[in-house]
Amino acid sequence: MKQIYLDYAATTPTDQRVIEAMQPYFGEVFGNPSSLHSFGQEARSAVEAARMRIASFLGATPAEVVFTSGGTESDNFAIKGVAYANRKKGDHIITSAIEHPGVLETCRFLEREGFRVTYLPVDGEGLVDPDAVAGAITGKTILISIMHANNEIGTIQPISEIGRLARERDITFHTDAVQTFGHLPFTAAELNVDLLSTSAHKLYGPKGMGILFIRQGTRIVPFMNGGSQEGGRRASTLNVPGIVGFGKAVELAGQELAEEPKRMTALRDRLIGGLFSKLSGIRLNGHATRRLPNNINFSASQVEGEGMILSLDMLGIACSTGSACSSASVETSHVLTAIGLSREFAHGSLRVSLGRFTKESDIDAILEMLPQVVGRLRALSPDAAGRKDS
Amino acid sequence: MKKVAVAMSGGVDSAVAALLLRDDGHEVVGVTMCLGVTPAEGGRAKCCGPKEIEDAARVCRALGIRHYVIDFAADLEEKVIRPFVEEYCRGRTPNPCVACNRFIKFGSLLAKARAWGFDGISTGHYAGIEEDRGAYRLKTPKDRRKDQTYFLSAIPREALAKVLFPLAELTKDEVRGIAERAALPVFDKPESQDICFIPTEGHEAFLRGRGAPVEPGEIVDTAGKVLGRHRGIACYTIGQRGGLGISSPVPLYVLAIDAARNRLIVGEKRDLRSGSLVADQVNRLVDVFPEEAWAKIRYAHKAARCRVSYDGERLAVRFAEPQEAVSPGQSVVLYDEGTVLGGGIIKEVFRGTS
Repeated sequence: MKQIYLDYAATTPTDQRVIEAMQPYFGEVFGNPSSLHSFGQEARSAVEAARMRIASFLGATPAEVVFTSGGTESDNFAIKGVAYANRKKGDHIITSAIEHPGVLETCRFLEREGFRVTYLPVDGEGLVDPDAVAGAITGKTILISIMHANNEIGTIQPISEIGRLARERDITFHTDAVQTFGHLPFTAAELNVDLLSTSAHKLYGPKGMGILFIRQGTRIVPFMNGGSQEGGRRASTLNVPGIVGFGKAVELAGQELAEEPKRMTALRDRLIGGLFSKLSGIRLNGHATRRLPNNINFSASQVEGEGMILSLDMLGIACSTGSACSSASVETSHVLTAIGLSREFAHGSLRVSLGRFTKESDIDAILEMLPQVVGRLRALSPDAAGRKDS
Repeated sequence: MKKVAVAMSGGVDSAVAALLLRDDGHEVVGVTMCLGVTPAEGGRAKCCGPKEIEDAARVCRALGIRHYVIDFAADLEEKVIRPFVEEYCRGRTPNPCVACNRFIKFGSLLAKARAWGFDGISTGHYAGIEEDRGAYRLKTPKDRRKDQTYFLSAIPREALAKVLFPLAELTKDEVRGIAERAALPVFDKPESQDICFIPTEGHEAFLRGRGAPVEPGEIVDTAGKVLGRHRGIACYTIGQRGGLGISSPVPLYVLAIDAARNRLIVGEKRDLRSGSLVADQVNRLVDVFPEEAWAKIRYAHKAARCRVSYDGERLAVRFAEPQEAVSPGQSVVLYDEGTVLGGGIIKEVFRGTS
């Protein structure tokens, strides 16, 4: 059976060119970049080349790029680091209700540590209102953290606007840009951010690799204590192959950034258009236009998301849903709840996320299969049984 | 049957069922029903909790098959748990496993699995299915001590054509042996005997938590004389001896539960015997019930010879020898040789055979 992967928002396949670039750094070039000898220096130069590449892609200086183990670490680093560095100045943090758990759970942790956190609501399309951000600021606010684009519904936030108002008030501003970095053109300066988290594996790079951009002059406490790597901000021997792979992934993304978002947008809109013409009783979740080029998230009435996932998986198509039975209980997506979906729609969501290796024929395949799948699942619902009886 | 969804509880039986089907060439996927029993809802679940789901996932990884966890919490609540609590409130002793098999495993799960693209489902029940020219019969398994057909007696007859029971010809020891040789991670896991959604805190706490009135009341003898007090009728079952807090020269047993007056009626062992019963919610797994059959009136009961009459709604069962502790709410299941004929839910119990 042909398999079609449409879950790029969860992770992307590592690009073959990235794997090739990483290969030498598992074997031949094995030195510790912190060592003074030639083995170390060779590894070091590969690390710094990657750092330079990533920094220039972000419009940053190399010293502003700190390597981490991924997006969640970067979120933890940014939020805890700024909170602890500014404890004397204030104790209030502003974030949104639809952040990634890397941000939300870190904020909840800090609440237990005595900080106060405002979780701003979003509108029905998932947008944070900059006026609401401004309104939530108090004299004690030390950090604002709002994601660039939502991983579930794809809504892109007015980050540069929020960044501007944070800067006017001298409040540190962080964004989780895991879903946008390398997928949308921007620089850190354009977004007016002081801190930006991202990871490599959403960009055809290796898993377990991320960065935190820390604008020069930002007060932050080191995340890991130990050696003096990364200017003392993040101790731990550098993950050389991962860093090299991340650098290569960013190089490839840079080459494609002029065309790929347009191609994604066209495929996305083809799928959304097709779904609405073939299926009744569905709604698009998230914003129609202020939306990630590769994100489609919709809910269908009388259907459970997990049923769609499973049926599609049986047909070889991999997608994702907002409500899944994790371990003990059914967890409904906090994002779908925050945009005000009814229980039925919150449980009947499907996220389709596209990427570099998605072809038009893949879109057509899912457009052919999905109506059948939804039809079969709807025939099971009590409403359908009622109609049959009457 | 090509594509089969195996309902995996995290135990050894369903693990071996999946293993056998996989080795038999079926396209096998493991499905674990998430029943939504969380600590917040009054305790730790003994089964179908996070530990069980993780065990099922480990088994599937060991077998190299896909595994899905699917939410059945709302279904279970509506079709099994709520009726379970309501039955206790009526002074009856329900069997939730019978209801779960009828409505959930061989009801919604089977229907969903078909909609997801499977040809049928399988479970690790000790039971068999026999096909003869398109007619399917539910059969007792080789391991008579593990026979679980009692719990399967209410499943829709048409489900039999879409179900596989790979453990039909195996004993529990053989199943454990297979699991151990295949190095399945759950091969030595202890048996779970209890009702999966009742937390370890117990029955009484669960019913109280569910708002069932567990009110103390009177214990009376068959003449209506008050002998003592009970903790709440839901805490007792018919046939129960002891735990009544009454001193008596002869052992006393719970004979009946009078929900309307919140009373327990107790008496001697000889008063516990019933000659006949009437059941409703009848399910037939054969075209017609024979006039004579063998009946089980609870899971651990040794099937008793009986005469059967069925008017299309009510099933009357008259025992050749009176049976002890026949309890309204439990299932009566009819057998003929190794075939399960079907059964019903016991509605009324009579001392005599008329």
